[in-house]
Amino acid sequence: MTEKIVLQNLDSQQIQEYQQNRYPCFFVDKIVEAVPGEYAKGYKNFTYNEWFFPAHFEDEPNVPGFVQIETLTQVFLMTFLTFPEYKGKKTGFVSVNNAKFRKKIIPGDRLDIIAELDSYRRGLAKGKVKGYIDGELANEVELVVSIPEIMLNFRPNTNKEQ
Amino acid sequence: MSNLEKYTKAFTETFEITEEQTNGLKYQDIQAWDSVGHMGLVAAIEDAFDIMLDPDDIVDLSSFEKGIEILKKYNIEM
Repeated sequence: MTEKIVLQNLDSQQIQEYQQNRYPCFFVDKIVEAVPGEYAKGYKNFTYNEWFFPAHFEDEPNVPGFVQIETLTQVFLMTFLTFPEYKGKKTGFVSVNNAKFRKKIIPGDRLDIIAELDSYRRGLAKGKVKGYIDGELANEVELVVSIPEIMLNFRPNTNKEQ
Repeated sequence: MSNLEKYTKAFTETFEITEEQTNGLKYQDIQAWDSVGHMGLVAAIEDAFDIMLDPDDIVDLSSFEKGIEILKKYNIEM
């Protein structure tokens, strides 16, 4: 029986060993705990120094929706890029469903994120992610994310698609 | 539900097409059956018949009819 791997307290440098997102599009400060193939828990501190706050909006800074989705996604990536064979591989969105934004996220907020992997098969990961601020649900989304390098190994032989 | 109905449903639900459109359907004949759609189709077939397809069979599954042939290897007759 294979022993379950539990990763704990990964800092931003360690997280970047698992995924290729980089500043200014890297949005995870810490992975508190991750079990490959099951879940990942982490957080992001949003301070006024974030590059998007002065622009969104000058008189009412808050985290843009696309940054929220990306932040949730980057924690979700840690549910399967933590398998040793997928560490550091590039990923791509396949679908983003049922995204809900329940709270405005402002400078000073810390978004605690819980990502659950429902399935991973042949380069295609499906799951759900929820973000919380001060214990209250702030946002959530259902994701399908691919590892193209893996998935393309399983496409039918044809000369049509390169 | 017969095996053929289950098999056809995997196509119609994954690609959002009609039963009639499955006849002679080949990989990339429709926009929905691209490399990502292919993974969805394979997952739907596996779920429908409670099987795990061999990687070589996944690559060979290039048409509606070819899939019927492949599933015979898994003792699934249409």
